[in-house]
Amino acid sequence: MQAQAGYALAVDIGGTFTDVVLRGRDGRAVTDKTLTTHRNLLEGFFRAVDLALDRAGIAPRAVDDVTVHATTLVTNAVIERRGPPTALVTTRGFRDVLRIRNEHRYDMFDPQIEYPDPLVPPELTFALDERVLADGRVTKPVDADEAAALARELAARGVQAAALCLLNAYRNGANERAARDAMLKAVPALHIALSCDVSPQIREYPRASTTVMNAYTQPLVAPYLEALAAELARRGFPNRPLIMLSNGGVVGTQVAGAFPVRMIESGPAAGALAATHFAELLGLDRLLSFDMGGTTAKACLILDRKPLVAGEFEVDRRYRFKPGSGFPITIPSVDMIEIGAGGGSIARLDNLGLLKVGPRSAGSEPGPVCYGRGGTEPTVTDADVVLGLLDADRFLGGDMKLDRAAAEAAFALLGAKLGVDASAAARGVFEVVCENMAGAARAHATDRGLDWRGLPMLAFGGAGPVHACRVAELLDCRQVVFPPMASVLSAFGTLVSPVRLDLVRSALAPLGTMDWTEARRLIGGMAEEGRGALAEAGVPAAGATLTLAVDCRYRGQQNEVTTEIPLSVAEAGDAVALRAAFETAYEALYGIRLPDVEVEVVTWRLAARGPLPAAPPPPVPGGAQAAPRAHRRVGVEPALPEVPVYDRVALAVGQRIAGPAIIEERETTLVILRGWSAAVHRTGAVIAERDA
Amino acid sequence: MTSLDGITLEILWSNLIATVTEQARALQRIAFSPIVREAGDLATALFDRQGRMVAQAVTGTPGHINSLGMAGQHFVKAFPPDTLVPGDVLITNDPWLSAGHFFDITVMTPVFRGDRCIGFFGSTIHHTDIGGYGVGAGARDVHEEGLWIPLAKLYEAGRPNALLHDIIRRNVRTPEHVAGDLAAQVAAGRVGAERLNALCDRHGFDDIEALSEAVLERSEQATRESIRALRPGTFHGESVFDVPGGQKITLRCAVTVDATLGELTIDFAGSSPEAPIGINVVLNYTAAYANFAVRACLDPDLPNNFGSLKPVKVIAPEGSIVNCRYPAPVNARHVVGMYVPFPVLKALHQVMPDRVVAEGSGAVWTIQIQGRDEQGRPFTSSMFNYSGGMGARRDKPGLDATCYPTGVAAVPVEVLEAAMPIEFTRKELRPGSGGEGRQRGGDGQVIGYRMRTRDPWLLNVVASRTELGPEGLEGGAPGRAGRFLVNGTPVNEARKMLMQPGDEVLMETPGGGGYGPVG
Repeated sequence: MQAQAGYALAVDIGGTFTDVVLRGRDGRAVTDKTLTTHRNLLEGFFRAVDLALDRAGIAPRAVDDVTVHATTLVTNAVIERRGPPTALVTTRGFRDVLRIRNEHRYDMFDPQIEYPDPLVPPELTFALDERVLADGRVTKPVDADEAAALARELAARGVQAAALCLLNAYRNGANERAARDAMLKAVPALHIALSCDVSPQIREYPRASTTVMNAYTQPLVAPYLEALAAELARRGFPNRPLIMLSNGGVVGTQVAGAFPVRMIESGPAAGALAATHFAELLGLDRLLSFDMGGTTAKACLILDRKPLVAGEFEVDRRYRFKPGSGFPITIPSVDMIEIGAGGGSIARLDNLGLLKVGPRSAGSEPGPVCYGRGGTEPTVTDADVVLGLLDADRFLGGDMKLDRAAAEAAFALLGAKLGVDASAAARGVFEVVCENMAGAARAHATDRGLDWRGLPMLAFGGAGPVHACRVAELLDCRQVVFPPMASVLSAFGTLVSPVRLDLVRSALAPLGTMDWTEARRLIGGMAEEGRGALAEAGVPAAGATLTLAVDCRYRGQQNEVTTEIPLSVAEAGDAVALRAAFETAYEALYGIRLPDVEVEVVTWRLAARGPLPAAPPPPVPGGAQAAPRAHRRVGVEPALPEVPVYDRVALAVGQRIAGPAIIEERETTLVILRGWSAAVHRTGAVIAERDA
Repeated sequence: MTSLDGITLEILWSNLIATVTEQARALQRIAFSPIVREAGDLATALFDRQGRMVAQAVTGTPGHINSLGMAGQHFVKAFPPDTLVPGDVLITNDPWLSAGHFFDITVMTPVFRGDRCIGFFGSTIHHTDIGGYGVGAGARDVHEEGLWIPLAKLYEAGRPNALLHDIIRRNVRTPEHVAGDLAAQVAAGRVGAERLNALCDRHGFDDIEALSEAVLERSEQATRESIRALRPGTFHGESVFDVPGGQKITLRCAVTVDATLGELTIDFAGSSPEAPIGINVVLNYTAAYANFAVRACLDPDLPNNFGSLKPVKVIAPEGSIVNCRYPAPVNARHVVGMYVPFPVLKALHQVMPDRVVAEGSGAVWTIQIQGRDEQGRPFTSSMFNYSGGMGARRDKPGLDATCYPTGVAAVPVEVLEAAMPIEFTRKELRPGSGGEGRQRGGDGQVIGYRMRTRDPWLLNVVASRTELGPEGLEGGAPGRAGRFLVNGTPVNEARKMLMQPGDEVLMETPGGGGYGPVG
């Protein structure tokens, strides 16, 4: 047994659970979940790992394939403000950049809106007398004595970390580097993050916000990753860990530790990578991944078998989950929408008498009414129980009994206000929450210039498979994929993520008069940094793929379109080819070209990627067709006869099940509506298709 | 269908809102106009056959949305739905029929189901240019302010109105951008129409008449109910502020709560008369901002449509600055328009003190610069803007450097420095400018800049409240007035100023008023 090898290990630490996947060479996987140990995350990490190793009966040294880790550490450090005292240093005259933001009121109609307090308080914001112009010229160099004195003041105030974000440093970081050198010379123990390294992009507020978040989390994350690597080595794991980033790639601990802000939202990103993996396996060019959990639902578009990656997202939305109420972070990340619609979302009547669901959530405490922990307001999960979609006696495999009668009573009350009975009210909640999610997915796709109609869906998360068929109908979608290992899909996703680092450099310039030497210098710098990160993660130079993209816009527009171009276009300085690539992309998005308008280059992007890891599919039992375990009444349509209920583990490859039907697994339930048929694919996925 | 239950109506209604939201997003994505892109200065809405606004997108500025709502009626009167054919698209920028100045062009796309027009998708956006005077308040009458497009057909049966397109292109400084933005409005209207037809297909509707009726009726009833909960009576509010050139403007209103009918009447009698510069406001725009203030106080979650707007009547004497007559110049109408909510809020403070916001800096300060760069190449900047402080709320401080009632974003310093030879020397908060109080008013900002040029340059700043700071509420202290300085000397100018190389500009935006006495 000790001779076995070829295992890969993945651990995803989420807000509630720490998930583990241990996969053998034959694709057979052991999965498990333990509660996240917030005080010391590594405790839960190794508890989960031990469980998995025990069940597989192997020793750590058999894990000689990758060990990959995704963690919510960075997000939690920000939301719970657990970072050390951190300072921000700006150009003199621009100290208040975090408090002025972009001056935008994100909700025009609500006078009570709020913003999160910046991670750096006003008394820890400082300025240096220096200046770089927009074209990169240094008109005032950094005074090393001033910087050194500032460093000593920071030390005296107990500051451990500082973010430097000087004006126009995206164009020329010389002053930031000079200031850092002088500060470290005076106080070597300071952690310093430079905006020209963390996020060299035009727009001072998001750049400062990103750099500050990096500085704030670095003193926590770098030691955490080192401790993780050391403990893995001590226990005899052969390889250093790889760390999942929010762009959907993994890197070594050095790069991750230097740029912890890139680890934010790495769990959901891994979920999108799992979706990508299934798109590849099933030969689907496009896919909408749909992950519905306890408090929110997330959706992500997979195009050409790659997840869409966006350049900016928000962390810590403070006010009613509203976009604009959090911190902007400009690092490449899987482009996801998150809406306040989950199992715990609360249903209520507004003062127009309309049935609203969410964004308020009962969370896990007190949780839905049926949890019996003191929740009194009806939720989406309660509706699912009332409708018989969830079996009150078999929730979490029967480990948690649900109180169906209490849920029905809550819906009877809600129904009375609506003038309908409890099951009609529950059906209303099911419909409204599905409409909300479909609406959010439509808006997300339209924002990106994509036609949402007919995209196949991949559904996971505890509540995703329950609602997926209905959401699919509302999106004119004919195919829903329910992947195996759905409850630990993010952990699984880390195992199918390539090594990848995304880099950006802004250099605003009209295409017609562009300085190609400068552009090549920027691209060369990114290539070198990318290759370094790949080497750290064990990818040999020959296995590296570099992809260049450029954000362009028509002069006068404020919104850029990202276009991939061959590296050779930049090497040759071929403005005509670049313009053509931009206009093709622009036309695809907006349906027009504007031949008379000048094109501007705003930002260069380079992705350095290793090869896609091989992922053997899990073996799935063949043989006899499983019979329904039971039949039960479900109220998703009025007067529906009893429907068959299957255990997913018992289903054989190729087995077909006509809807309406219920397929149960331990952590979720697949609801196959009337008009749909499900079949078990050889990959272990259940694929539901809408009848013609 | 007025008996639709709360589940069915919620689903249909949220679908209607989704159609206009998709229209808005499609539009915002492709617009050239920076103020549309970065600041969301646009409005989109769905109208029924009678031109009644049924649903509006959640994005947009109050001035645009509610003015667009009123434009619907004018379009339907000029072009009755049964006279329209598929492929027709309507347009106007008439200040008195729509959003109050030429820059804002409204486009209405009829939606056809078969051969029958069942409604319209309308949009209003701020275009990059409209000829004439350009940005600013300096024109002497409305004709100097640019191109006036009457209610007209931009497309007839799918064919562009070539003459009208040609006239527009010849009369604006940025023909590609204006044509591109008009095309975007048309394309976005088409998106909305497709989505509405799909909704009708899903639910087997021939039209949206019954649904519209149910939506409007419920909205009206809910608004009336929330007004009935208020203390009846007539309450007065007044706000005084100074505008570019130094003139003091008084906005006065009497808000009458009729708790029996559930109606509010807002009468601006006693407000200042029309001004000789382009800061005059058409009644549409006044009503838009007055309604906005009412809705924010009553319940920000109330829908905004013809039904919910109906119980609120806004009147103002003809010839006053808030109901100006042809040919008064109106270009910079936001300077006065954005102060319209404040007297209304002060009156409502007597009824619902927990909901209102103290006076704040009001209008954003807008700037446009023309000149030559160091190599002598000419440039014209797009319009950009900065906020002062917001007034305090009863239980929360006012937000720093954030405007109310709009809340448009500022273009980043680095973007401006990359786009023109400007060099900022400062952009930070102005400590102590927010009024003291139990809750402090938000601080304004100090913004300094100069141009890297060897030539004289033109500066067009529309500032306000440089003499009179915003008042506090319930004993809160006033916010500090703004200051606009060139080379250290205060200036107060409504027109474009000729500047010299090396001139230094400093703008200190006002702070917001405090709420309640310092405890």
